[in-house]
Amino acid sequence: MSKTEYILNVNGKSKNIVSSEDKPLLYILRDEFKLTGTKLGCGLEQCGSCAVLVDGCKILSCNRPAIEFVDKEITTIEGISKNDVLNEIQQSFKEFNAAQCGYCTSGIIVSLTELFNKKETPGKKEIIESLSGQLCRCGSHASVLKAINNVIKLRKNND
Amino acid sequence: MINKYKINTGASVKDYNKVSDWLSFEIPNKIKISSGKVDIGQHISTTLALICSRELGIDINSIFVNKLNTDTTPNEGITASSLSVPNSGTAIRSASIIFKKNFLDFAAKSLNLNINKINLEDGVAKDPNSNASISFWDFSKTEEFLKLSIPEIIEIEDQKNFDHSSHVETKFINSIVKGEYKFLHDLRFDDMLHARIVRPPSYFHKFLSINNAIHKYLKDHNLKLYIKNSFIAVLGNDEFEVIKSLNRIKNSIEWEQVNKLANDKIFNLIDQNSKDSLIVKRGGEAFNENIPEIKSYNNVDHKTLTSEFNKPYLMHGSIGPSASCSFYKNGKFIIYSHSQAIYALKSILSNAFNLKEKNITLHFMPGAGCYGHNGADDVTYEAALLSKEFENKYVLLKWTREDENCWEPYGSASKNKLTATLDKNNKIIYWSSEAYSDTYLTRPMVGKLEYFVSQRFINNDFKKYKVEPRTGAHMGIHRNLDPIYNFKETRLVKNLVHDLPLRTSALRTLGAFANTTATETFMDDLCIEANIDPFEFRINHLDDNRAIDLLNDLKIQMEKDEPTENGFRGIAFSRYKNSASYCAVGVELTVSDNVEVELKQAWISVDAGEVAFKEGIEAQVEGGFIQAASWSLYEQVNFDNNEILSKDWDGYKIIEFDNIPLINTSVINRVGFPYLGVGEAVAGPTGASISNALKRALGERIKSMPFSQENITKQLLG
Repeated sequence: MSKTEYILNVNGKSKNIVSSEDKPLLYILRDEFKLTGTKLGCGLEQCGSCAVLVDGCKILSCNRPAIEFVDKEITTIEGISKNDVLNEIQQSFKEFNAAQCGYCTSGIIVSLTELFNKKETPGKKEIIESLSGQLCRCGSHASVLKAINNVIKLRKNND
Repeated sequence: MINKYKINTGASVKDYNKVSDWLSFEIPNKIKISSGKVDIGQHISTTLALICSRELGIDINSIFVNKLNTDTTPNEGITASSLSVPNSGTAIRSASIIFKKNFLDFAAKSLNLNINKINLEDGVAKDPNSNASISFWDFSKTEEFLKLSIPEIIEIEDQKNFDHSSHVETKFINSIVKGEYKFLHDLRFDDMLHARIVRPPSYFHKFLSINNAIHKYLKDHNLKLYIKNSFIAVLGNDEFEVIKSLNRIKNSIEWEQVNKLANDKIFNLIDQNSKDSLIVKRGGEAFNENIPEIKSYNNVDHKTLTSEFNKPYLMHGSIGPSASCSFYKNGKFIIYSHSQAIYALKSILSNAFNLKEKNITLHFMPGAGCYGHNGADDVTYEAALLSKEFENKYVLLKWTREDENCWEPYGSASKNKLTATLDKNNKIIYWSSEAYSDTYLTRPMVGKLEYFVSQRFINNDFKKYKVEPRTGAHMGIHRNLDPIYNFKETRLVKNLVHDLPLRTSALRTLGAFANTTATETFMDDLCIEANIDPFEFRINHLDDNRAIDLLNDLKIQMEKDEPTENGFRGIAFSRYKNSASYCAVGVELTVSDNVEVELKQAWISVDAGEVAFKEGIEAQVEGGFIQAASWSLYEQVNFDNNEILSKDWDGYKIIEFDNIPLINTSVINRVGFPYLGVGEAVAGPTGASISNALKRALGERIKSMPFSQENITKQLLG
């Protein structure tokens, strides 16, 4: 397959990319942008480890060609904190040690960032829907749920 | 008043008895801990730093744990069997105590001051009446420090005053939440080759030929193919091109199937196949002795019950597939691995490649969560082999999701058969328990290269290897077969079943998950028969006060919480290996009209000896609970006569956020008691408590895991 040239905007930075047309976004992020926080877990859009935000919406990056995302704002886990200041979800995960091995954590935080950007205080059903397909094998779920409840509590207190 | 007590400094100190083996002070104001235990998500780095921090009065952020490699860190064997804190934690604690004691003597002499007058803060001893001071770092430069050794028994001070309720941030959480934590998968070297294995359809497929047309494709895409007998790999600088080529290469290969994977259903095979049967005595050791028949009590004063429990093959199923990176040049290997067993791998690779051990260095780098002997060792061997063929280049080999699901060593399918007799006082006077399973112990070892999954393809040798039954206390199949209860008479039998279809080895708890589930579900059947409260019934058969305290603690926890409408509760308990942590679990669940099980509440009480890191213990038991709940409700490796079918997450369902109950964990702190490993204690009680709650919901014991809609319906409909 011939190579194509295109520009991608990731975490506020644009970069000229030359790649095959079918190369998924995940590999461009990891190889070209050197952003390895987004993980390859299955390559089948089943585990959620490769989740990133595109114009604020979660997508799974392991299969979809990067070229689909030209002229879009792509945000990876590295771009979620601004100027080294963690967002409220990252901060809460830190306070609750809401990770064990941490391989699935980027995808989970990305999913929740989308949710909390769209919903001030999401309910249980919305949280479960947001995390559907975000697999964790170490069983960090309970601490993740505590961290989420903490974010909701803080938001309610700030009302 | 400060209480003092004595502790045994443990197994690791026997081999590394110098304080400087464990602690170093090369960087001013920092302490470096060396440990041979790898951090596989169990927070061992944080726990060790915390132990050192408490003993030396140094901020935990000034303590870091050495990156583990086989050249410089203590060889503490495999990071397995819930021994990280008991071994490494006790060693670090002992080294810290000996260091501090000797430092204070040194400081008193140097400052010409009585020890009691010394003001010790942040590793600096000060004379309160002058500016004179001397620090840990000064002491570490002396000959005396290098000579400090740790005796077998040391005296320690009571740590009752430590506040375990305050939050301790785990060592890597900040970089994890920012996506900056580096896994082995993230390694990059100039001109590095990415690699994937071109797997055949099953363990029993031999390479015959490859269509020559594939070579043009490989050349056009700058890919290299490596073929050694039936072991085939593809390598290239662009990872995606390597991945993309896999199916094309597979489709161009002709394989010969030399054997069927299976010829019957697994539980039929467990019944039918040849076995090595050993008697297990109280204390948990197995012996090759005559196995008595099951006793029968047929009279009005006794009630005899039987039970059977089936567990399917379970997979580790790490979210990040196994990976390793290897570099070979001039007869030397540098290897990155996320194996639990990097010291063993060094010896094995030395033997396999005929190199001196000094020419092989393995660096541990984190992989995704590890729950036993997964694909990490296999992929390390494969990466080493490929790097030797592509000398002077780093080779980063990653398994695919299908590799991980189909080629890792599974936790064995198993069957338990039990018989017990109650006397007229509802005491169990006879207990027979038999475990049937394939091995849980095919970790790689010198001279056993066949335990690496690729070796059969490298050598085109497809005959099945036979393993011998292990006899040590609570080894694989018979782990926790010996019940902790004071039954008057027991008949315990382990059966190593041969020639079962799938590759197996150590998955978290080995046989203990099945054996504890079988024991604790049968205890529940017996208490229902006796019409006695499940807590009381268990306590009636216990002499161990810590076990009794634990059950009482669980009961109090559960009584505090309101029952859920239409919810059913079950409890279970065990002491892992009858020597590690005690753990009791309560579960409340509902069963919907279409037989879907929803976990509502869970309670865990755990006694892990003296608490080192409370949040770490909670994370381990709550994580273990969720994983074991997933095993219990959802998981089984599916296969047919020719191949494994659970190739991806659609084919191997695991628990998700929609079925996580509210979990309450109570940690009992046994000050002055040894640290007990906690990573595996919760699994067995979890499986049993779910089964026990289900029995109360359905009125019937579901005999086969997973307790899925399909399995429950099948049993209920007969």
